[in-house]
Amino acid sequence: MIKTIKVALLAVIGLAFTATAYADFTFVSWGGAYTMSQQKGYIDTWGPVKNGSTKVSVENYNGGLGEVKAQVESGNVTWDVVDILPVDAINGCDEGLLEELDFSSWEKAPNGDSFLESIPDNGTGVGGTISPCAAPQIWWTYVIIYDPKAFPEKKPKSMKDFFDVKKFPGKRGVHTWPQAVLEMALVADGVKPSKVNEVLQGEGGPDRAFAKLEDLKGHVVHWSAGAQPLELVSSGEVVMSIVYNGRAGAAILSEGASFDYVWEGQVLDGDWIAIPKGSKNKAEAIEFLKHATTCASQAEQAKYITYGPMRTCGLDVIKKGEPWFHNGIAVLPHMPNTKKKLKKSVLTDPVWWADHNAELKEQWAAWMAGNK
Amino acid sequence: MNQTAKGEILTTDGIPLKVSLRRSERINKFRAFALVLPLTLFIIITFVIPIIAMLTRSIDDKQINTVFPKTFEIYKQWDRKELPPEEMYATIFGEIVSAEKRAIGKASTRMNYSRSGWKSLIKKSKRKFKKIKEGPYKEQMIALDKRWGKIEFWKALGEMVDPYTFGYFLNAVDLKYDSNKEIIRQPEKRRIYNYTWYKTVKISVLVTLFCLILGYPIAHLLATLPLKYSNLLMIFVLLPFWTSLLVRTVSWIIILMKKGVFNSILVWAGVIADENRMQLIYNETGTLIAMTQILLPFMVLPLYSVMKTIPPSYMRAALNLGAQPMHAFYKVYMPQTVPGISAGGLLVFVLAIGYFITPELVGGADGQLIGHWIAYHLKSTLNWGLCAALGTILLVVMLTLYWVYNKIVGIENIKLG
Repeated sequence: MIKTIKVALLAVIGLAFTATAYADFTFVSWGGAYTMSQQKGYIDTWGPVKNGSTKVSVENYNGGLGEVKAQVESGNVTWDVVDILPVDAINGCDEGLLEELDFSSWEKAPNGDSFLESIPDNGTGVGGTISPCAAPQIWWTYVIIYDPKAFPEKKPKSMKDFFDVKKFPGKRGVHTWPQAVLEMALVADGVKPSKVNEVLQGEGGPDRAFAKLEDLKGHVVHWSAGAQPLELVSSGEVVMSIVYNGRAGAAILSEGASFDYVWEGQVLDGDWIAIPKGSKNKAEAIEFLKHATTCASQAEQAKYITYGPMRTCGLDVIKKGEPWFHNGIAVLPHMPNTKKKLKKSVLTDPVWWADHNAELKEQWAAWMAGNK
Repeated sequence: MNQTAKGEILTTDGIPLKVSLRRSERINKFRAFALVLPLTLFIIITFVIPIIAMLTRSIDDKQINTVFPKTFEIYKQWDRKELPPEEMYATIFGEIVSAEKRAIGKASTRMNYSRSGWKSLIKKSKRKFKKIKEGPYKEQMIALDKRWGKIEFWKALGEMVDPYTFGYFLNAVDLKYDSNKEIIRQPEKRRIYNYTWYKTVKISVLVTLFCLILGYPIAHLLATLPLKYSNLLMIFVLLPFWTSLLVRTVSWIIILMKKGVFNSILVWAGVIADENRMQLIYNETGTLIAMTQILLPFMVLPLYSVMKTIPPSYMRAALNLGAQPMHAFYKVYMPQTVPGISAGGLLVFVLAIGYFITPELVGGADGQLIGHWIAYHLKSTLNWGLCAALGTILLVVMLTLYWVYNKIVGIENIKLG
């Protein structure tokens, strides 16, 4: 009996080893529909995966640089490519936790723009990459959604309406960290979306945003996980909520949910992909990033999620191919970064947020504590 | 048996018996030690060393001092009333230019904790300083970025000039150093940690209390019912215990939300009006309900195993001798369950004080307990010094409670079964 157990155990261990021997390339992302879009958009279509010479194992994480820092500092780097937020791309590069990339030989756009020129704005007001360590992925956005049934007559159209609890009574769903909320408050306070970063970063900018937030005092339900706001709106717990547009897009396009967007004053934030410093498959990882960031791959990913390709050439491919979504529905109405929508949107400035993250998070927490 | 002149007993090979015995004892002791060695090593490597490392991180400020040693030397002479002299500008210029990129990156992160803006300023300077060929540096640096001309930025360096600092601990209780290393309070809009400490302890105490109130009768029932009923009841206690934490948390959201099960039943039964549905989730109430339910088994199980060992004849004897049931319970039964109450209470409290996923999902604005801030600084700001300080305070709070408990109840009174 014991012998059988031993044999079985050894077999399992052996199996585990062979499994790890095959999984020689690790891609780390946020999980859920987003990772699925990456899997279908550019992991499955990558040459070495198609011909079976490489197996990409996909892992999930919760963001932040904690794991990368621990791996790099302990010298045991097990991740090869990781999907990160701009703030982390900047901090990680500064602290030497990520590999620097040389984009000079990466794919040009069809109109002749170099790789970096095909990213018109990275959030800091200039084009190109946000940090020498980061390859472009997508724009995602904090946008307002509401259930049209909640407002039978007049529908909310602008950020002002979101902050106007007299005109549109009912609770609002807001996340539990300050990013995007402050920008939205400034838009509601009458600042032009294109001027928001300037005002926010100027003298007394955050205080002006917090002052505007007083309008919402007592009318907020706070959420902390991306699926919650959809549930809050569809269950009637709140009448409007800030959501990640990809979540809303998936609910509308794939599940037929009836949400309407308020695009005015949406706050776009980027997502980038990078290689942890000391990755054992660095050369392979660079090849993978090159493939993941082609115009075609960028567009392909948008078949499965409504996040906007960061390179404009990706958007062009989608425009020509509409209806583009994998189930035959037009996807551009749900994309956050079409030209028309960008005019009334704010791009978060990750450099500024990297500086002020901790301070404003504490101030925001104090605001939440007083907001009951 | 031989004997020496002094009267010592010798073994056959002429060694004193004492020595020989000690020798063989030593081998036995060594063997015994070898048996526990793996565990000892395991505890040292996975527990003692990390804790020591954490404790040192909370006061360690060496890194930045290795990047700006000369600047900090001059800094100590500076009067902190006007902008620093040219000499300081020249020194920091030199140290930024010559610093290794990664070291300066880390240092700028550290500087940013005491004044937001340092991070991007240092990064920009590192990039653009190549353009400045020779001194005087002061004007050129200010021309490059006006933040170099702001005294607040320079003043913020004051707290870093020593290789060891209590700054992280101060930060963890809403205090900070000013430029002269005097301790002052954080500006009011940033005071959040003391409130969070208070909230965390309050919720942990309440959850422990509720678990006790709810768990005590259940445990008593489990211990006294006939086996076939108590087994079934035990499954009811354990079933949620085996269910994923997230599933249980999300179930509470569905039950407690405004249009959720609980409110709807009350409306249907006519207890409350449709427009007066109660806000039971995304606030402290929700946190308390969900955490109590999730931690309840940790109270019930130790209580149960202690109650199981109390012979029912004691209560019968007390009643037989004329005590009122309440009196008998209070005087005879309850004192015997104290070890279980202690064990359960301590377990629940320890778990509750470090909780953060459940409160974050169901607590709304109230859901950010101290565990949330530790995770946040660990992952987002990479301020591991502050993490370590928060963690150390948590550890000290726990040890203090343990000590108080030991003084009042006695640690030998803890019993898990």
